[in-house]
Amino acid sequence: MSAVVFEGIWKKFRRGERHDSLRDLLPAVVRGLARRRRPLDLAEQEFWAVRDVSFQVAAGEALGIIGPNGAGKSTILKLLTKILRPTRGRIEMHGRVGALIEVAAGFHPDLTGRENVYLQGAIMGMTRAEIARKFDAIVDFSGVEAFIDTPVKRYSSGMNARLGFAIAASLDPDILLIDEVLSVGDVGFQEKCVARMRELLKRGVPLVFVSHNLAAVVDLCTRAILIERGTVRFDGRPAETVAAFRRGRRDAEPAVRPASDGIHITDVQLRRADGEASPLFHTGQAMRIQVHYRAPQPVRAPHVAIDIHGVDGLYCAGINTRMDDCALGTLEGEGRVELVIPRLNLLPGSYTISAGILDAQGLRPLDLQSHAYPFSVASERKDFGVVYLEHHWRHDAGRAAGSEAGDAGAPAASAPNRRSMEVVGAGGARK
Amino acid sequence: MNRLREVVAEQWEYRELLVRMTSRDLLLRYKQTVMGFGWAVFMPLVNTAIFSVIFTRVAAIDVGMPYPLYAFCGLIAWNFFASALRFSVTSLTSNPSLVTKVYFPREIFPFSAVLVSLVDFAVSALALVALMWWYGVAPGWPLALLPLVVASLVIFTAATALLLAMGNLFYRDVKYLFEIVIAFWMFATSVVYPIGRVGGRLGVLLALNPMTHVIDAFRAVILEGRAPDAAFAITTAAAVVLFGGAWLLFHAAEFEFAENL
Repeated sequence: MSAVVFEGIWKKFRRGERHDSLRDLLPAVVRGLARRRRPLDLAEQEFWAVRDVSFQVAAGEALGIIGPNGAGKSTILKLLTKILRPTRGRIEMHGRVGALIEVAAGFHPDLTGRENVYLQGAIMGMTRAEIARKFDAIVDFSGVEAFIDTPVKRYSSGMNARLGFAIAASLDPDILLIDEVLSVGDVGFQEKCVARMRELLKRGVPLVFVSHNLAAVVDLCTRAILIERGTVRFDGRPAETVAAFRRGRRDAEPAVRPASDGIHITDVQLRRADGEASPLFHTGQAMRIQVHYRAPQPVRAPHVAIDIHGVDGLYCAGINTRMDDCALGTLEGEGRVELVIPRLNLLPGSYTISAGILDAQGLRPLDLQSHAYPFSVASERKDFGVVYLEHHWRHDAGRAAGSEAGDAGAPAASAPNRRSMEVVGAGGARK
Repeated sequence: MNRLREVVAEQWEYRELLVRMTSRDLLLRYKQTVMGFGWAVFMPLVNTAIFSVIFTRVAAIDVGMPYPLYAFCGLIAWNFFASALRFSVTSLTSNPSLVTKVYFPREIFPFSAVLVSLVDFAVSALALVALMWWYGVAPGWPLALLPLVVASLVIFTAATALLLAMGNLFYRDVKYLFEIVIAFWMFATSVVYPIGRVGGRLGVLLALNPMTHVIDAFRAVILEGRAPDAAFAITTAAAVVLFGGAWLLFHAAEFEFAENL
């Protein structure tokens, strides 16, 4: 039996303003009496946020839900948490539901961290004894020990979120629902969160994960569905679903569609140094991008181009065989072109890879898959920006250092203490 | 009936949260105000002083006992009712993040408002004991019926609280209407004078006010040493039915709350 049954769910919403004064009550009642509507009729201003969506999640399964903004993903999650009730359909949840959604919603600013742990714990359905038993673990996980008796209005938003998440993570749920929590806190905290999710998953706790982080969905989930305009567009293995999502977006763009008998990209694989195909990389470690192609007819001297963009659209890098004077010769049949990046000097974040095959002049794309392959980078580096610049610091105090080239950042020669230091920036973050 | 058993069972499952939400509000008041629980005693005492001047000096009435005792007893019961409803009416609308983002039985909001006021009621009852000692009034055996009277008062209050909280969520006018109604209602109840003495058609109309019977019963068992009358029994039965109905209605509308806030 599946732990989560979501069957034939429809959910209707109203656009625009809602009547909430008594002035509007009378007309509404009159209208309501005048014509009785069947549930599947749409009145003016109404629309279907979710249309006939079904899925099941069994023990040990992790279902990813992806899709564009406004597709209905959050509505589905709210239906699962019982905040919303479906207009039509059946939802069954077997066991205690833990939701990593709005983990600090119950916090009251005037109460201390300790008091809020008990309050939020109760909101999540824990008993006082259970919270008391887990209290130390919660505080430890959150990393706010020093401020646990301080009112949370003095907390930073990050501390708030971490404490809330720690409470939610301590819950022993039978079903876990997650909405974009991977954006909470710093990298170290995020890794703790992912580790906790994996632990629950390993214990057989079914998981529903709504995210824009496609790499995380591929990494964590055992299955994924693609939601578009309230309906399920695709249901399959995470990688397939992500691919379907990409295809959808590619089709939406002024697409470059390969001629049916022309060369086309069949797959792009991202591999780590050890050869494992994975969307997760580490700053400073190797990345290999393999572009698989199929050319039914010979193509003379095409070029392969790879672009890397940040999720916010920032163009981080553009590499192609033409600029590198790498001749591929004539391509025919199936093959693979590999780009090896010995050290991926990108800082933690989410990125996408676009892959293309261009003609001999490097002008006309024969096939182009824009932003089709997501990956994310993690590391302990806390530098700002997107690129990791290998660096070290030097400080020459009390010397006439101003004229010396390469001493950018050295203080003026008037510094009182004669001291010199050299701090090397973690040597390329290689572990 | 089954439906009602279901909602009660769910509420029982979340009893921990009800206690937490109640203690949250009590704790906040304690932290945010200097007087804390002192207000629970101070407010009815001030009112008692004012009404004592009016009804012993300006327009003297005979209530069959020291007037301040009569007024204070009525006022603490009424204050419980009015303040529980005042908290309840905005209890859903003032917690939008909880209502729209986390699921738990929404009854917790009005119920915890009632419980917070019940704590105040208990604190102010201590002052009533002091007053009784001062005037040398001792309760008789009917005091044993006090829990029943308080239960009746709490049930009627909770039923009204559910309806008001829900009403205000859908129509924000309810909050303002409530303020007007509660002011009139107090003077149509035997809070500071025995309204039962009003005769004629108005008297019949006033006899339909459940709060009069509850407050009369409250005074009867504590101060007059007599058991509550039949009107109280009918009122209690009606309050229980109203409570069940209000709860079911609230539960049925509960799923619309998040969409309407």
